Amino acid sequence: MSDKPYKFDESPEPTRPSTLKNNGFGEQDGTAYSEYASQQRDQYDDQLNKTTADDGNDYQDGEPMHKSGSVNKPQYKTKVKTQTLDIAQPKTKLPQQVSEDVWEVDVNKEGISLGAATLGFGVVSLIGFFVFEAYTTLAANVSEHPIGTGVLGALLVGFVSCFSFLSFKEWRGYKQVNTAMEDAGVIRNLLVNKRNETSPQKIDRVLSQHGKRFSRGSYAAHCFDRYKQQLQDDMTGPERLGLYEDTVLKPVQDKAHKVLNKESVTAGSLAFISPNNLIQTFAVIWISFRTIRRMARVYGLRPSTAGNWKLLKVLAQNIAAQGVFDLATDEVANQIGGSLSAKFMENSAEAIAAGALNARLGRALIKLLK
Amino acid sequence: MQKNIATLFDKTRAMASLTGDKLSSAFNKETHRFTITGLSRSGKSMLFTSLITMLKSRSEEGYACLPLLRYLPPSQVLDMRIEPIEGYKPFPHLQNITDLENGQWPKATEEAFGFKLVVRLKETASLKRHVLPHSDVVFEFIDYPGEWVTDIPMLSKTYAHWSDSAWAQLSSGPQQYFASQWKAFVNQFDFEQEPTEQRIKLLVNAYRDYLIDAKANGISLLQPGSFLLESSDFDWQAFGFTPLPSSITSDVSHPWFKIFDKHFSKFQSRWLTPLKQSIFKETDKQIILVDLFEGLNHSRQHLYQLKETLSHLADTFVYGQSTWFSRNVLKKEQIGKVAFVATKSDLVPVSQRANLLSLLTQITEGARARFDDKPIQFEHFLVSSMQVTDDGSNEDAIRYQDTDGRYVESMFEPIPSTLKEMEEGSHFPVPDVSVPSDFKARILAGKGVDRLLQFLLGKGEQE
Repeated sequence: MSDKPYKFDESPEPTRPSTLKNNGFGEQDGTAYSEYASQQRDQYDDQLNKTTADDGNDYQDGEPMHKSGSVNKPQYKTKVKTQTLDIAQPKTKLPQQVSEDVWEVDVNKEGISLGAATLGFGVVSLIGFFVFEAYTTLAANVSEHPIGTGVLGALLVGFVSCFSFLSFKEWRGYKQVNTAMEDAGVIRNLLVNKRNETSPQKIDRVLSQHGKRFSRGSYAAHCFDRYKQQLQDDMTGPERLGLYEDTVLKPVQDKAHKVLNKESVTAGSLAFISPNNLIQTFAVIWISFRTIRRMARVYGLRPSTAGNWKLLKVLAQNIAAQGVFDLATDEVANQIGGSLSAKFMENSAEAIAAGALNARLGRALIKLLK
Repeated sequence: MQKNIATLFDKTRAMASLTGDKLSSAFNKETHRFTITGLSRSGKSMLFTSLITMLKSRSEEGYACLPLLRYLPPSQVLDMRIEPIEGYKPFPHLQNITDLENGQWPKATEEAFGFKLVVRLKETASLKRHVLPHSDVVFEFIDYPGEWVTDIPMLSKTYAHWSDSAWAQLSSGPQQYFASQWKAFVNQFDFEQEPTEQRIKLLVNAYRDYLIDAKANGISLLQPGSFLLESSDFDWQAFGFTPLPSSITSDVSHPWFKIFDKHFSKFQSRWLTPLKQSIFKETDKQIILVDLFEGLNHSRQHLYQLKETLSHLADTFVYGQSTWFSRNVLKKEQIGKVAFVATKSDLVPVSQRANLLSLLTQITEGARARFDDKPIQFEHFLVSSMQVTDDGSNEDAIRYQDTDGRYVESMFEPIPSTLKEMEEGSHFPVPDVSVPSDFKARILAGKGVDRLLQFLLGKGEQE
């Protein structure tokens, strides 16, 4: 940007006034030069009068032609047209502040979730049927119960609808993961071939499609918003990809690893304090599902509960491995005697195993979603 | 006992942390010296002001600016501070911000300023962060008047050589109009009389008047530029000189030749040599700022002259990548990366910026030819230190607030992508943009600075 205001004019910038008078000249010198310059001006102005009278040259008004009688001041045709607008200049917003990365895996949801509504409708319907049953029993002789039947019917419809919608969402979640994985493949290819000039429009299209799939409130969506805010119209395709990598892919990956570490520690702790193998297995299953859910919140993609067989396979393998490990540690503990230290060792080993297996599940999930 | 152990543990930990800090400060320091070269009015001071504002806002306030600057990830920046450089006056950043707040553009640089930007980065490597918890990236910037730059090529010339070439230059191109009064003055000047102090002053001041007039009218090749500034340490009033007609310079016994030759030698030894040694040599990264609007605002001839001036400018520097040995043992820096930057790029519509970049590439041809056979990385950039314009009603228009406070829209005909395409007798007047009241947000919205820094700081990769 300019560090000096320019004059917007049809002609080039006006001549800056001479500083001769203020340049530290001795009085005598200044006078001498001024006299000379004054004589010159008079001389050239005389010349100018003659010249204009002779050939009608078109000089600018008010411009003393004291420079030369032979060299004309250059005149230029403007290539810029300007018009005044009757609106005020819009204010530019300050960019988003990103110093505080406050996104958390678990956010307090406002209102009632769809799952809770489904459960609620189910319970209410069940109760309603019981009540209806009781009511019909009590009023066996009353043949018409329009209001009660209507309400119970409505509750049942609600339950069926919500249940259907939930099923649809599960199916869509599953499809979404597969599409996102395909998108990720395209983005990976673009990143690999970053040096090849790909049009910014194509890259924008791919990245926007990928960004749209992030569920609302997820960390990936939060990062994608930040990416969009930092995007500038003069960025080239590779620069856009680089920015996407810096503001979305890398932070999401880092966050996923952080969440996974935390979950693995929790899995280990639960395994350590579990009094028996059954509770331990339930704890491992619960923490595994929680890991999947939390990681999915980071990536903005929710692999449907029944959808992603790969994850379930890993989960099943984990449970089996945990079981085998339990047997092995039990056997080792029996061999070295049933002391407290042996129990402690057994639990510690199981905790480490649970943590490691949970990390394995998380890594499989990261591999799937990244 | 337990308390004593705790105290001892705390002390040991504090000492370890202090040692780590000191070790980091001593060993984990990376210094980059930037010299920003540009002719007068090329936007050097504004670029510095924006750069400091952007980096400070990014590290201290967390604003998401400079998105392409991957070298300094915001998550790793601990703090940033400005320090003076020994031997230089501190850069008037706060004064410039105050000027902007008062609706004035920063004043043109009339003396050399220097400052260091020290960015402290968090060490992320798991083991290293316990020993050396942080690393410092030090940017050293030198800002100096553009008028001085044009004088450096005079170092390699004799007075006669310089005088003849200067005389030839002012007799051709767009400057001939502005030089006609000076030439007429010389033609009437009586060189038969002895060169007294007063007569020399008379001649020098007449020449200086031409320099001032020509500069105000977009002429870039003006020597000696140092005569234009009162702040130059060289006493041009006492030791001034001017180009003389070849009838005098060809006679080495002519008293006017003798005195000007003597003054020219003094100018070289007392002013240019120390100037080159102190500012221009100790650098490893060079940014050459080019104000293409200075040419576009006037004519094709002005653009050709800008190209010639840049070509001369390239002589100023010692090109070639410095090695560890030459940098640390011989203490000799050589420029390894050069960025040619067209400033004020927001003054043209986005649709015309590709043409502007192409024009910049052509303007720098001569300068680039100087390091054709050297391992120098160079790149061209369009930069706007402050986004003062908004998008117009179509892709060839921009909107801005002019100095009369009106919000106006300017529609551009296509900017020439080559010098040849610049239509003779036509020009692109530069919008007279006022300082916007939301200048901070517009500085942070400035474009190209991140790309430029990433290129200069990146480890050899072409970004």
